[in-house]
Amino acid sequence: MSLSTTGPVLQVQQLSVGYNKSAILEDLNFSCERGQFISLLGPNGAGKTTLLRTLSRHLPPVSGAIQVRGKALAKLRALDLARIMAVVLTDKIIPPLLTVEEFVALGRYPHTDYLGRLRAKDRNRIYAALDDVHASALRHRQFSDLSDGERQKVLIARALAQEPQLLLLDEPTIHLDLRHRIEVMTILRDLCRDQGITVVASLHDVDVAAKISDRVALIKNSSMMAWGSPESILNASSVAKLYDFDQAVFDSALGGLEIRGQVKNGRAFVVGGLGSGAAVYRMLAKKGFAISTGVVQEHDLDFHVARALGAECVSVGPMEAVNGASTAQALRALAACDFVVDSGFALGPANMANADIITHALVQGKTVLSLRKESTPWLAQAKSSTLHFCQDADQFLHFLDSNAPAPAAHSSTDSLEEPS
Amino acid sequence: MNSADLTINPARSSMLSRRPLLVFLLLGCAALMLLLLNIAIGSVQYSFAEIIAVLQAPPNASTAGTIIWNIRIPRAIAAVFGGAYLAAAGLLLQIYFRNPIVGPYILGISSGATLMVSFVMLTTVSAGLTMFSPYLNTLAAFVGAYAVMLVVLAIANRVGGGATLLIVGLMMGYLCGAVTAILTALAEKEKIKGFVLWQLGSFSGFKWDEIMLLLVGGGLIIGLLYAQSKPLNAFLLGEEYAASLGVNIRRFRLLILLCSCALAGMITAMAGPVAFIGMAVPHMARLSFGTSDNRILIPGACLMGAVVTSLCDLIARSVMAPVELPLSAITAFFGAPIVITLLLKQRVKL
Repeated sequence: MSLSTTGPVLQVQQLSVGYNKSAILEDLNFSCERGQFISLLGPNGAGKTTLLRTLSRHLPPVSGAIQVRGKALAKLRALDLARIMAVVLTDKIIPPLLTVEEFVALGRYPHTDYLGRLRAKDRNRIYAALDDVHASALRHRQFSDLSDGERQKVLIARALAQEPQLLLLDEPTIHLDLRHRIEVMTILRDLCRDQGITVVASLHDVDVAAKISDRVALIKNSSMMAWGSPESILNASSVAKLYDFDQAVFDSALGGLEIRGQVKNGRAFVVGGLGSGAAVYRMLAKKGFAISTGVVQEHDLDFHVARALGAECVSVGPMEAVNGASTAQALRALAACDFVVDSGFALGPANMANADIITHALVQGKTVLSLRKESTPWLAQAKSSTLHFCQDADQFLHFLDSNAPAPAAHSSTDSLEEPS
Repeated sequence: MNSADLTINPARSSMLSRRPLLVFLLLGCAALMLLLLNIAIGSVQYSFAEIIAVLQAPPNASTAGTIIWNIRIPRAIAAVFGGAYLAAAGLLLQIYFRNPIVGPYILGISSGATLMVSFVMLTTVSAGLTMFSPYLNTLAAFVGAYAVMLVVLAIANRVGGGATLLIVGLMMGYLCGAVTAILTALAEKEKIKGFVLWQLGSFSGFKWDEIMLLLVGGGLIIGLLYAQSKPLNAFLLGEEYAASLGVNIRRFRLLILLCSCALAGMITAMAGPVAFIGMAVPHMARLSFGTSDNRILIPGACLMGAVVTSLCDLIARSVMAPVELPLSAITAFFGAPIVITLLLKQRVKL
């Protein structure tokens, strides 16, 4: 058998996959190189599992070509394929009375003789596989006694015992706790980097996929919406489109999802910047407040979080000082808000004007919640009865709960909570 | 991996292999002892010396020689083979369906075999052919077993789920039983008695040519199965994983079904339907050998089946002697509590 050792490990052309000759996913074209981590993302029922089952030859393709190491998948002998490709499926298999070591040894199938006897080389490979998934300590345990997380690692070890160049995994982190989720993902990433194994996995965590994958495939509505590096194709609009979100927004700079609240309270103006506002915005969104904020510099952390949460955001250019025009704009927005929050940002020459916005609000008689120390000189000077200090997040949340102003007429008519 | 792992390993693997070896030894001794007891004990009392004398002499026409060589020895050997093959058939079915509570009797395979044998024994379909030929009965039983198997499979594929499988098997058993009952009602009286006796399940009346068929036919199948223990082990992971490991699933599925039907059909044809051996013995083997490795379990279950069935047969014909109790009654007393215990201890899940 001549398999190419260069070029893509897996190549798919004009592929349609589905059951009983009716395609549920059509016109797929992509190729996976050595050592790449490929994530398949998409809503449930989009066809990720069907695609994986077709790639692993459990299902025949409806049409199109799949090549593994330059050879047509359909033409490979089963044992030859098993030496190249290993799979981790979602079905819960718990064979009784097998130790972890015996279970992993089953992965040596394509490498052992007709009775499956293990030689020293096989044993070493089994230990190495267990080591790769940080499960050496589980070796003598009964497979049926393992926890879900441990079991998933051992399933991966079993696949590794096949010495694959290509590893297909169907939702490898589903049902796992956070610790094992992260552990399984880093194990898989290390397999790509250190051993040059190509990993193709269907995943549900967009944020983790974005941080680990070399390529992502966005799968929805019977086609591949997009294929490429997560950095180039994962953004607020593509993720929202993929999952039909309206309550959450993916921000590629933040690398995660922001959850929007349903606006049922009034509008708050947050004077923020330099990362001080992010937590405040999230608390306000959680409690159902509409948010306006300013003046923040573009690409400040606060700028990204505020935009992801759909806040009205008064900003100046990156590294630009807060100037008269932006301050005036912020004050107009502030006038329409029910109360003001001072997020306790650090002050410097570039954002001195933000302190003026707060004192201005106090002069106007707006309620101001400050997360600063009460001893801050410029605030202490203001001596306003509408100024309240919050020592920590709990006090702030308590204030929001107890003093939630009813939505003013304007916030129900305007559409500022929608991203512009 | 460090050097400690390497040094620990040989010690451990030898410890691992010691347990199966010990269990094999114990079971082997038990099987041999029961075989001898089955030859020695019976309604006609012989002293130990008399038996030794008969065994040393070639088969002859003396009463003792006839009883021992033509009645007791074939029966004792038949019980050994019968238990071994039913256990192997049950083991195969449990691996195939990944369901611990299946066996040839439960899945209706024995009933299918019974039905076909009743056709041969009760109707004139086989007129002109030698009646009670072991080959004809075996063939009929195999066809019946396989037909029921295919129906159960077709339904199991559609419905899935462990409990459903059992219910489907049970229903097939009732259906086959119903047809068998109708055939019995319509049959000639002389034919009924033999059939009813056969249907109770018994290893009595085995002839040497039947023993030879069991030895050669069954032996070949067990040998074939042992050679397939590697893919059988891969099958512990389920069909999809087995396929991804390089097992030719379609060919292998056919092989498992043909082998289990042939083994169960063969025994059913000759000894009648025997309950519980096929289901309970693989569990007993798994627990006593402490492994699911089929390289150990195939010979292990066979040996365990031989021991249990020999014991049951001994009890069946000696407890109420000279009245002989139906074998399936004894195996049920044995098997049903075992299955219930397994369920209660959560060793198996449906």
